Amino acid sequence: MSKTICVLPCNGLDKCAGDVSRRVALQLAQSDAVELICPVLLNQNKSRYEKVLESGELTVIDGCNTRCASKLAGDLELFIKEKVNVSEVAKALNIKLGVEIREDEDSKAVVQEVLEKISSSVAVQAESEFIEPESVAYDSFSHGKFIFKIPKSNYFFNENDCWVTVSGNMARIGVSDYVQQNLSDILYVDPPEIGDEFEQFDDLGSIESGKAVFEIISPVSGTVVAVNTALSDAPELVNESPYEKGWLVEVRLSDFEEDQDLLHDCPTYFKFLQRKVEEVDV
Amino acid sequence: MSESTFMGVERDRIDWSPRIDFSKCNDCMDCVKFCPHQVFEVDENAKPKLKVKNPNNCVVFCRACSKTCGPDAITFPDKPETTNMIKAIRKAEKQAKEDE
Repeated sequence: MSKTICVLPCNGLDKCAGDVSRRVALQLAQSDAVELICPVLLNQNKSRYEKVLESGELTVIDGCNTRCASKLAGDLELFIKEKVNVSEVAKALNIKLGVEIREDEDSKAVVQEVLEKISSSVAVQAESEFIEPESVAYDSFSHGKFIFKIPKSNYFFNENDCWVTVSGNMARIGVSDYVQQNLSDILYVDPPEIGDEFEQFDDLGSIESGKAVFEIISPVSGTVVAVNTALSDAPELVNESPYEKGWLVEVRLSDFEEDQDLLHDCPTYFKFLQRKVEEVDV
Repeated sequence: MSESTFMGVERDRIDWSPRIDFSKCNDCMDCVKFCPHQVFEVDENAKPKLKVKNPNNCVVFCRACSKTCGPDAITFPDKPETTNMIKAIRKAEKQAKEDE
């Protein structure tokens, strides 16, 4: 660990999941490379942590899905490098933490698992097998002060505004320009795990701005083979280049022909989106 | 909203909206604040306060509000079943058009 890691945990006083995040944070803080950030003090006085946050990368530990720590970071427009949710880790382990704060085997197991998740966050992934097109041509239309770009061809969309582009049996998935503009500055991309198998319309993680969280709803079925690691340092790539550099997930397709039944090609999505922005005031 | 559709299928023929388990709901209203589509409604004088007012405003396959729910009180219909139902309706309509 060369760079400092700033850890912003849940306050940890409300229920067991919170207490676990507090315990994880305290264990992490035993390393010299880790600086703890108290959420209450941060909320009260951001400048107290300005130096620390400048020198290091921020890891957020949420206790439950109320996600107070994440929301606080979002409100203060802090760039989050990594995020763990204790309740989700517990769920994956089939452990029910409940309300009562307790220090038993179950809660210890969750503490351990969260610690492991944080230390092995940079998942090992294979070299990308996706062959990128040399250039992508775009169509666009404007609505008010917004201009929406849509590729001319080779991309397919679901009506949840997520795209897929295919090369052989590999594909890349991302969000449309419309999503990116709606969210405005993207602060965090929460990717799925390498090796995850998923069905069409399952969620593939989420992206988050100070304004909202957007669930990535997969246009296809398949297996996750890679995630765009560039986004952990530069989530703004999704804003700058939603169809190319800002791709989110690379997958091995399982049945694209079947999936295509519920997808739009570029010209159809273009018309769909035009109608949509007319209806919803963007 | 009868004119709204999902993949060409009228929205009101697709059963997709949040189900709330009121034994878990703690009235925090995070889901209401989160959802930009006015799916929920809050009636301060009613019990429970929270209501799924506009189920057909819910974006088909979106489950994002359930992830904001601290007490895990929100669930959704089975996704593969919904997908298959949409495909079946589309197939039937295509067939009907061809038969005309």
